[in-house]
Amino acid sequence: MNPLPHTALAAPVITTQPPQIDYALLAPLLVVFAAGVIGVLVEAFVPRPRRRAVQFTLAALALVAAFVLTVVRVALLPAGGAGLTVASASIAVDRPTLFFQGTILVMAIASLLLIAEHRHGESAFAAQAATVPGSEEERAHVLAGSQHTEVYPLVLFAVLGMLMFPASNDFLTMFIALEVMSLPLYLLCGLARRRRLFSQEAAVKYFLLGAFSSAFFLFGIAMVYGYAGSVNFAVIHDTVAAGGAGALPGGGPLLLLGIALVGVGLLFKVGAVPFHSWKPDVYQGAPTPITALMASGTLVAAFGALLRVFYVAFGGSVAEWRPMMWVVAVLTMVLAAVVAVTQRDIKRLLAYSSVVHAGFVLTAVVAASAEGLAGAMFYLAAYGFTTVGAFAVVTLVRVHEGGAESGDIASWAGLGRTSPVLAGSLALFLLAFAGIPLTSGFIGKFAVFEAAVSAGATPLVVVGVLSSAVTAFFYVRIIVLMFFAEPAEARPRVLRPGRLTGAVIGVGVVATLVLGVFPGPVLDRLSPAPGAGTAEAQSVPGGFATTADLFANR
Amino acid sequence: MLALLTAHFAAALLAPLLVRRWGRTAFLMLAAVPGAAAVWALLHAPGVVAGHPVTTRIPWAPEFSLTLAFRMDALGLVMTLIAAGIGTLVLVYCARYFSDDEPGLGRFAGVLTAFAGAMLGLVLADDLIQLFVYWELTTVFSYLLIGHRAELRESRRAAMTALVVTTLGGLAMLVGVIMLGEAAGSYLVSDILADPPRGTVVTVALALVLVGALSKSALLPFSLWLPAAMQAPTPVSGYLHAAAMVKAGVYLVARLTPAFGDLPVWQVTALAFGAVTMVLAGWRALREYDLKLLLAYGTVSQLGFLTVLLGAGTRDAALAGLAMLCAHALFKAPLFLVVGIIDHSTGTRDLRELSGLRRAMPVTFWTAVVALASMAGLPPTAGFVAKEAAFEALTHTGPAGPVVLAAVVLGSVCTVGYSLRFLWGAFAGKPDVAPTPVHAPGPLFVAPAVVLAALSLAGGPLAGAVDPVVAGYADTVRWTGGAEAQHLALWHGVGLPLALSALCVAGGLVLFGLRERVAWLGHRLELVDADRVYRRTLAAVDSFALQVTGFTQRGSLPIYLGTTLVTVVVLSGIPIIQGRLWTMEAPPVRLWDSPVQLVPAIITVVAALGVLRVRRRLFAVVLVGLTGYGTATLFALQGAPDLALTQFLVETVSLVVFVLVLRRLPPRFSTPALRGRRLGNLLIGAATGLLVAAMAYFALAGRRAESISTGFPDAAREAGGTNIISVILVDLRAWDTMGEISVLAVAAAGVASLMFLRRRTQPVRGRPGERAVPLAAAPVADGTAGSAGAPWQPTVLTTAPRQLRVEPRWNPLWLPGAQALARERRSIVFEVIARALFPVVMLLSVYLLFVGHTDVGGGFAGGIVAGLGLMVRYLAGGRYELYAAVRAQPGALIGMGLVIATGTALAGAVFGTEILAGGAFDLHIPLVGDLHLTSALVFDFGVYLLVIGLVLDILRSLGARVDEQLEKESPTERQAEEVTP
Repeated sequence: MNPLPHTALAAPVITTQPPQIDYALLAPLLVVFAAGVIGVLVEAFVPRPRRRAVQFTLAALALVAAFVLTVVRVALLPAGGAGLTVASASIAVDRPTLFFQGTILVMAIASLLLIAEHRHGESAFAAQAATVPGSEEERAHVLAGSQHTEVYPLVLFAVLGMLMFPASNDFLTMFIALEVMSLPLYLLCGLARRRRLFSQEAAVKYFLLGAFSSAFFLFGIAMVYGYAGSVNFAVIHDTVAAGGAGALPGGGPLLLLGIALVGVGLLFKVGAVPFHSWKPDVYQGAPTPITALMASGTLVAAFGALLRVFYVAFGGSVAEWRPMMWVVAVLTMVLAAVVAVTQRDIKRLLAYSSVVHAGFVLTAVVAASAEGLAGAMFYLAAYGFTTVGAFAVVTLVRVHEGGAESGDIASWAGLGRTSPVLAGSLALFLLAFAGIPLTSGFIGKFAVFEAAVSAGATPLVVVGVLSSAVTAFFYVRIIVLMFFAEPAEARPRVLRPGRLTGAVIGVGVVATLVLGVFPGPVLDRLSPAPGAGTAEAQSVPGGFATTADLFANR
Repeated sequence: MLALLTAHFAAALLAPLLVRRWGRTAFLMLAAVPGAAAVWALLHAPGVVAGHPVTTRIPWAPEFSLTLAFRMDALGLVMTLIAAGIGTLVLVYCARYFSDDEPGLGRFAGVLTAFAGAMLGLVLADDLIQLFVYWELTTVFSYLLIGHRAELRESRRAAMTALVVTTLGGLAMLVGVIMLGEAAGSYLVSDILADPPRGTVVTVALALVLVGALSKSALLPFSLWLPAAMQAPTPVSGYLHAAAMVKAGVYLVARLTPAFGDLPVWQVTALAFGAVTMVLAGWRALREYDLKLLLAYGTVSQLGFLTVLLGAGTRDAALAGLAMLCAHALFKAPLFLVVGIIDHSTGTRDLRELSGLRRAMPVTFWTAVVALASMAGLPPTAGFVAKEAAFEALTHTGPAGPVVLAAVVLGSVCTVGYSLRFLWGAFAGKPDVAPTPVHAPGPLFVAPAVVLAALSLAGGPLAGAVDPVVAGYADTVRWTGGAEAQHLALWHGVGLPLALSALCVAGGLVLFGLRERVAWLGHRLELVDADRVYRRTLAAVDSFALQVTGFTQRGSLPIYLGTTLVTVVVLSGIPIIQGRLWTMEAPPVRLWDSPVQLVPAIITVVAALGVLRVRRRLFAVVLVGLTGYGTATLFALQGAPDLALTQFLVETVSLVVFVLVLRRLPPRFSTPALRGRRLGNLLIGAATGLLVAAMAYFALAGRRAESISTGFPDAAREAGGTNIISVILVDLRAWDTMGEISVLAVAAAGVASLMFLRRRTQPVRGRPGERAVPLAAAPVADGTAGSAGAPWQPTVLTTAPRQLRVEPRWNPLWLPGAQALARERRSIVFEVIARALFPVVMLLSVYLLFVGHTDVGGGFAGGIVAGLGLMVRYLAGGRYELYAAVRAQPGALIGMGLVIATGTALAGAVFGTEILAGGAFDLHIPLVGDLHLTSALVFDFGVYLLVIGLVLDILRSLGARVDEQLEKESPTERQAEEVTP
């Protein structure tokens, strides 16, 4: 293809033919979107008492169907090749996309189970979010058993954004995906049933900071467009590879500016230092099932997008962005680990832990290689399962029966004696976070660190390992507290896990162990076999010409 | 080999069940598992010694070159025998050490068995990563074992210390291992040994690996965890901290010495840390009173010794080292077991309290004597053989040899000293201490220690038989030349080694003789307490973390945002400045078209800056409005009357809406932040503003395509209009407008749903609107309201009614709804003006709607003008006037607008060629003139209705609804207002 369609630039071409779209490849996105729209209609037309069941069924069916379709799509990919692009090259369907989408869908299903969990007619969401916290109206709604079934379509829309985010093959599609993903989440964050002011504060903070980061992302897109004359990743890549030939004369700084600003937008979503400050507040304030969704799905989606942007669009300017990523990765791993030590609230702690893990994945991004991509992908999947499981456990530990979640870690003392299975699961998750062998966390850490070392980023790995030592310290402290300390005076009440929550915890445990002990089958599918890639790849024996070849970009 | 490992872990899983069923006897069954491993190793021993290592290789995760690779060579064989053999004996010992009702015994048994498995894997692993996996597993299991008595605070703390220190070392090792593997291109130990890589990376990697090894083997400066770990039950100490786990570090050194023993980093580190540790820990052991602690420091000292020998990088040293390793396992384990027996039988381990045990427990005594002799290096024990070999090897080890030898001799002197101290302390009768009461240990309890001690004793005479095994490993180490290859033997003849041995014994006797003084001196000379350093470090990390948290995570949005903005400014500032972006060719920027533009521009800027200064919300809103009006004026001057009109109208509506909302907010902004903070915020804001402005400018530089606006005049003419803006809105970009009005509708619904929430979802009640009183009745009912002093209160009418019937009859009042207002809020002038103005305003709005296609105006502007008319009526006459002014519900208006717009769009598809296709016809109306009607007008009418609905909705919810709330919340206040006219 002509890398620089100047003729196309000069006069906007208005097409009269509708674009050819391979709907089969877009099917999962369409299914989720349709279910979301139907969900909105359900709100309008289905009588109130039946809504929850209908919505849940609809959402669950849609997500499962989307997952099945995602798996089926693997067969549609050209054998050994990088992948395909759909809808005027705005969406890429390749192995990384399918892997990320599959992962996101599984995480979303797990989160949906948590969202749907009901106990004595109470969910994790406010009875009526618009009432003033503590007001008479609120009480009336709680007594009347009001529910926000709008949560389900909102979650579906957010998932749609997540699915689109790592699949976007141009910046504008990516921006739309970003917004589709973020807006429902801003809203969902403010819907916690308890500590509502806190929840609303979190939502406002998330929204404001997120709006700023989106703005920077857009600015960055404008700058990159100024440089390359296109928002398409492949074109940008070619322009960069051609040394900006044909692009704006002397426009190199525009590209750098664009990289920096786009990077800010993406790193914000990922939650890397110094753009992490929203994470603890939002994770703590949001309803825990939503936190689980954000900590798994959003993180995976954001990293998927980050990898695509930095490997494909900016794959030719690795030298330019690597220093930035280095600094961010080091800051992320060090600062978040240090701060996490002082946390007394389990959700905040998990939030910081998520920040630290983002730093670990960033070390794989820095590698800018096939191993880096595979490592990051494995890490994200492994982390996602574990974190959903951990948040599922958090939903069960309450101050008292029917009370708020007991976030204070000190009150978890002795939990290992009273509820050994639950505490054991959490201990397993924490060990996986710490990267103890035979859990998925270890393989993930090993994969990203190996990629970073082979790319010459050893100092980064040293920092990473030191920070895992610090994080291991506070994870283990919780385990010690649960199993070896005397139960606290005001012992939290541990709810019996419902079927849904139990399933989520079980899946988390199994995934953590299986990925830790038998990582082979998953790893096999992560990256195309070296040498079997695109034509360019074949010209370089035994490897990929550039990181861009790992993705479908034509 | 995999089967053996699996058996261990399976047994570990079963252990709790076994213990529950059979109590402590279950340990005997569990002992069979490591026993089988030991037997298996023995069976393969001949082959291994003959140079045929046993190997297994199963791919695990080939993508990351992870393999399940096992390999048992000579070193592996020795280590397997130690780990499995002593493991068996310790498990047997456990069967008598514990009582059946020990809490958590099942878990303990499982963990101990699992630990044996991990240890076995560790010494057999041929893959570095796999080795690391077992390494960490032993750490975790040892943590669980040390913390077995979880109820003891000390126990928990010790477990934590061990975990932190060894995990830290382990992770450092992981980095080293990965670097090593990447440098060698393979993670297989046998590959690395066959072809050792070299280079700076390897040097760093080895340093990191050594950190791991030293921390695991509790060498200085990591030694603190081992004495602390003596909180563990004695079998654990005997196994983990004498025979198995602490040997892991030494094993790793031994494993890699054949490949890297010639590198200075390896030799120097091993020799220096080993020697220093050996001396200092030996010295420390001389003043311990707890038998177990004495042994612990002794172990640290001996581990230093082993590191010296195995890391020295010569063949003879390696030979001596491996021999010493065996000897150490054979004497230290029984000593720990003996301590356990003593502790169990007497209830104390303090050597100041023990007395006369020699007679009370003769078997134990003699066991200890043999083991101690081996430890002190007395003939004819295994310890003696190993120590002789060590002295011999060190006499010709490079330039550092003499120093190291001196240190080792010094350490050995201490060893003899503390061996005697142990013997005396544990068994001797002390004149001033009453003989300790003892209950005799059973035979099975003592047996493991006896077996091990016997092996210690036999090791000396049988040195020749052991030699080929040990040499099998030593021969892989670089041969330094010089003296002929050394062999293990009980008698080497008279020479330097023998003399040194004698010196050690003599020195040890002196130290023992002066034991009180030595202890005193030791206390005086104590430099640093490692434990205190450790605790201080942890505390420092904690407080540092707290400070960092306090600094970065205040929960304050301005700080979060400030951080992000500063980062963005810095990140983007770099390319701008570095790339000298201003030198880039950019389109010329005109300062102004006419200087008149400067006036509104300055007003806008001054107003914007003023917003930052004012403290009252109302002023701020007015100033913000001013910036809007300034911009509108600029539009007008630029030649865009449509934009200007729309901007003026929107600005006005928002000002009113703002004021309506501000009623519910405090009049002033919250107290200002510190002056410095505000200044900082100001700077950040200014910098960000500058950046964004700069980017906007540079973005212009990137433009290469022609602006699409050049084609608009033609397109507008084609569409039959002359007002480009309006044509864009309702024709060219009608799709966009469709989207936008939908968004408006949704926003209106959102506003309304928030404000009318209660009505929407309140528990069921009567038909909506039923309670509403027909307003027409009101004026009649309150004919004398004005004179009565208390205004008419339609108390029943508290919510916006669905329907209001205003009877069309003559009414003498200007605005009937205003009757309901408090007198002091009424203004007759305002009412008159509102009444008079309303029809004019409505007419104007309709005019704007119709001329939109050809002249300034349009549905949006018209709708807003109509909304302003309603607004005036509301402001003059209060909420009942508003209800009376428009009978329709805002929702209905919005919906109808949306339907009309959509209908037009669809009609285009039905009657025309595509969705939103336009049509036009001209109409001549007498008096009015020609009217050019297009389908776009109908579309615009939809927009018009929708905008009116939106404004009405806002007025009802933010105006009328808030009025209601205010009245309800402060009836007293209102009454107070009423009395004071």
